[in-house]
Amino acid sequence: MTLRRVVGRLVALLRKRRLDSELEDEIAAHLELAQHEGISRGLSADAALRAARLSLGAIQPLKEEHRDSRSFQWIETILRDLRYGLASMRRTPGFSAVVIGVLALGIGANVGMFSLMDAVLFKPLPFADPARIVGVWEAPRPGAVNATKPPEFLEWKRLATVFEALSAEQGIAASLTGQGEPARLFGKAVTADYFRVFTTPVQFGRTFSSEEDQPGAAPVIVLSHAAWQVDFGGDPNILQRRPLLDGQPHQVIGVLAPGAFDRDETRFWKPLIFTPEQRTAKLHWLTVYARLRTDATLTQARERMQAIHAALTEASSVEDRQASIVVEPFDRLLVGPGLQRSLFVAFGAVALVLLIACANVANLLLAKGAARRRELAVRAALGASRSRLVWQLLTESLVLCLMGAIAGIAVAALLLRLATPLLSESIPFTAAVSLDLRVLAFAGLIALAVALLAGTLPAMQTAFGSLAESLNHAARGSSGVHARVRRLIVVGEVALSLVLVAGALLLMRSLLKLQGLDTGISTQNVITMSVDLPLGAYRTPQQAVLFYRSAVERLHAVPGVTQVGMATVLPLEWIGNGEALQVPAVEKLVRIRFKRVDPGYFRALAVPMLAGRGISTNDVAGTPPVVVINEALAARLADVAHIKDPVGRTVRVSVPGYTEGTSSMPEVEIAGIIRSERVSSPGSPDPPVVYAPLAQFPTPQVKLLVRTQSNPAAAMPAIRQAIREIDATLPIGDVATMQQVRDRTLSGSSRPAGLIGVFAAIAVLLTAIGLYGVVSHAVTQQRREIGIRMALGARANHVLSQVLRNALSLVAIGLAFGLLGAVALTRVMKSLLFEVSPLDPVALTAACVAMMLIGLIAGFLPASRAARVDPVLTLRDEG
Amino acid sequence: MTHVPNCPIIKLSKDDMSKQQTEVPYGTLDLLVLKSLDTMGTLHGYAISRRIEQVCGDDMQLSQGSVYPALIRLQQEGWIRDDWGISETNRKVKFYSLTAAGRKQLRVEVAKWEKATALVARFLEAKS
Repeated sequence: MTLRRVVGRLVALLRKRRLDSELEDEIAAHLELAQHEGISRGLSADAALRAARLSLGAIQPLKEEHRDSRSFQWIETILRDLRYGLASMRRTPGFSAVVIGVLALGIGANVGMFSLMDAVLFKPLPFADPARIVGVWEAPRPGAVNATKPPEFLEWKRLATVFEALSAEQGIAASLTGQGEPARLFGKAVTADYFRVFTTPVQFGRTFSSEEDQPGAAPVIVLSHAAWQVDFGGDPNILQRRPLLDGQPHQVIGVLAPGAFDRDETRFWKPLIFTPEQRTAKLHWLTVYARLRTDATLTQARERMQAIHAALTEASSVEDRQASIVVEPFDRLLVGPGLQRSLFVAFGAVALVLLIACANVANLLLAKGAARRRELAVRAALGASRSRLVWQLLTESLVLCLMGAIAGIAVAALLLRLATPLLSESIPFTAAVSLDLRVLAFAGLIALAVALLAGTLPAMQTAFGSLAESLNHAARGSSGVHARVRRLIVVGEVALSLVLVAGALLLMRSLLKLQGLDTGISTQNVITMSVDLPLGAYRTPQQAVLFYRSAVERLHAVPGVTQVGMATVLPLEWIGNGEALQVPAVEKLVRIRFKRVDPGYFRALAVPMLAGRGISTNDVAGTPPVVVINEALAARLADVAHIKDPVGRTVRVSVPGYTEGTSSMPEVEIAGIIRSERVSSPGSPDPPVVYAPLAQFPTPQVKLLVRTQSNPAAAMPAIRQAIREIDATLPIGDVATMQQVRDRTLSGSSRPAGLIGVFAAIAVLLTAIGLYGVVSHAVTQQRREIGIRMALGARANHVLSQVLRNALSLVAIGLAFGLLGAVALTRVMKSLLFEVSPLDPVALTAACVAMMLIGLIAGFLPASRAARVDPVLTLRDEG
Repeated sequence: MTHVPNCPIIKLSKDDMSKQQTEVPYGTLDLLVLKSLDTMGTLHGYAISRRIEQVCGDDMQLSQGSVYPALIRLQQEGWIRDDWGISETNRKVKFYSLTAAGRKQLRVEVAKWEKATALVARFLEAKS
């Protein structure tokens, strides 16, 4: 068939009515002409017409052949079925609304979840050829990674020919001043190859050239599209502007095109220029990414890097040589195993919701099928084949499912709107969650699958049941098989719901456990923020110390403020690896985490002292340097150096300098021991931490912790004002209550699993609808029986309790299966739970009780209807 | 039962129809319609069916109605076009005529047909 013909036939589908009437006209004209000719040959008008009809042939088959050859008959059949489906939907609006509603919930939840999964796990990253982007790390021991030292990075860059580009980066924050309220912008200091690794188109301007990360280069920055829009008002002349970052003018050389980076916190990039000291100092502070050459494989890159590392560390310490190099695909680094697991569990949960929705729809269709048996029997008697009937019923379910999918997409859009703000912190910035074509295609597929899954059984049941019987009997009672199937379906629904509800309750208990977890600090009424002192204005450590002192003084004067503390890292936040402590006469170094705090820190967070003293206001430059250590480090010292009482002992601690990339290893006295405060997510043991006084070891980046008498957010304006009075150019960033910080650390990556709660609620609702449908159908079917029993003296209470018993027995059977399911899923849940057993009796019991309650509620309406049956009426009605 | 090859028998049952279509070369009726229009110029449906009847004589059983499915097919291929006109009985009817593409198609069909018949004829005449 030529293409032209196919198009012609498709067009004919649309012009069906017109073509039919044209053919009608042609046939009439044909007969008229033939009759005319017959008459002219001397026939009578009647005889001529008869002759004309005879030679024309049968008209109906002619019309059909005409239709056959001008268009696609099967499409017409489908269209007719679809029209019929729509019409039958309109005939039973209540039924259709319930089915579409059920499907909208089921499909909507799935579509929403899929778009989240798709964005985080499946869609390629929004960079050119993203599979070639890798992270390169040093792994001191298996499972741990370490930042890279500049000398190593420079050597890698020189030797690693498997990479097209290799770039190092470091997160920075800068104050943007000179245009209204000072703003704190996150950025990255990157080597010039950065945008060759993360290729991103520019809106205008350019990205870095290779000389721009060399010493002496003029200060330039590249802006993200979001930064250009938000922080610079979309100024079209941005390339002529020289905004002040940390007080220093920077030339804007380019603005990136809108894209993935706009969801990241990074607003600007500036060249990372190593100072001569940094080039040689053995400090780990760089994050390295690379782009594989097109002809290089990951394995080759790993081998090559290992070889380079071996060659570079030949002359180094034993410790250095033990390390290996890890080359990991970037996408693997973005999505940690916790998030992945959490997403998969949530997706599994939402698939269960879909199954329940399918079961519900199948149930409703069965009920409707039972009511339509007479109609179908008539059609079968008139010659419709069984397969034709099945197709028609399936097409009808497909129409319903498509409507459900359309409504579901709306539900998904709503769910995403509600969930994205809650989840945005847990998912990587590269994930663009949106209802795009892929998601719509998924919705279409789901609708098809549901139509098949939920429609096949009812269609078969309805079309293959003994139709003849339905003609004989006024379909009064539903057949036994029919009712049994429907009850089985409800049992399945209850079982699936129980699994979900139990899962949701387990997660909730786990969350409560986390809420109650003793983190060693008091978070109540504490608000935190970060302040970065620009190196341009705070050139010397003394200037920073002055700032700390006046900040504490001013903040104390703010009404409502009771405590003020300062630290380089917030409590509960991860502290970087890489510092070391040396006990005199002990060769082995103790790996420690290093944190600078001010005298108010321990007090503000109510961290108890176990021995010695805390940091006092007397520990300033010029007095003997001291540190406070945590319990974990005390234990470690007892272990490594056999120090029973570390207070008063002198040790050496490596301390990063005032500017990045410098370090020293001064001698300090241990002044006290605190009870360990939690440093990272639960499950890992407390690391050894050294707390050094900020005044003795100053740094430009600090976090402020302010405890207030009541709601700390209310004090923010006054706090900002206090800081502004010290330095009007200092922006304040990352404002968060300690409670928020705590939530982020404790439950961050498992947050998507919280969606299970929403899904469980939907599942329960659907199951209640299903149960209600079955019980109420059964009551309608048994009205006569109930009427007779009541006529014979059964009391309303009796009828009520019997109907309820029936409903609850279905629930009970479902619960038994559901518990088996919950047991089967133990292993999956275990990884998501904190100090809660996957078979936690409290959660499982609560879930069972909840389902029983749902059973009661769903059964009560039809049961009370049954109890109100008037025996006289029902018996007269159908007698 | 043997068929007269160039005049398809149009049976009434739809199921039989589809079997017929596979047995009788489908384009045969099309060829007759195209040739009629080529010879006679512009014709309406009735005239086309009469023309085929007259030329084929009594050797064939063709219901006149079967030209209409053929006509819509040819029209969709772009080989013929229709214009409204007035019939001898003063009625608005469609008059069909060949398009340039149709004339070309007719030449192709005729050549194909002649080649096929010549081949068969040669085969039948061939002596051992």
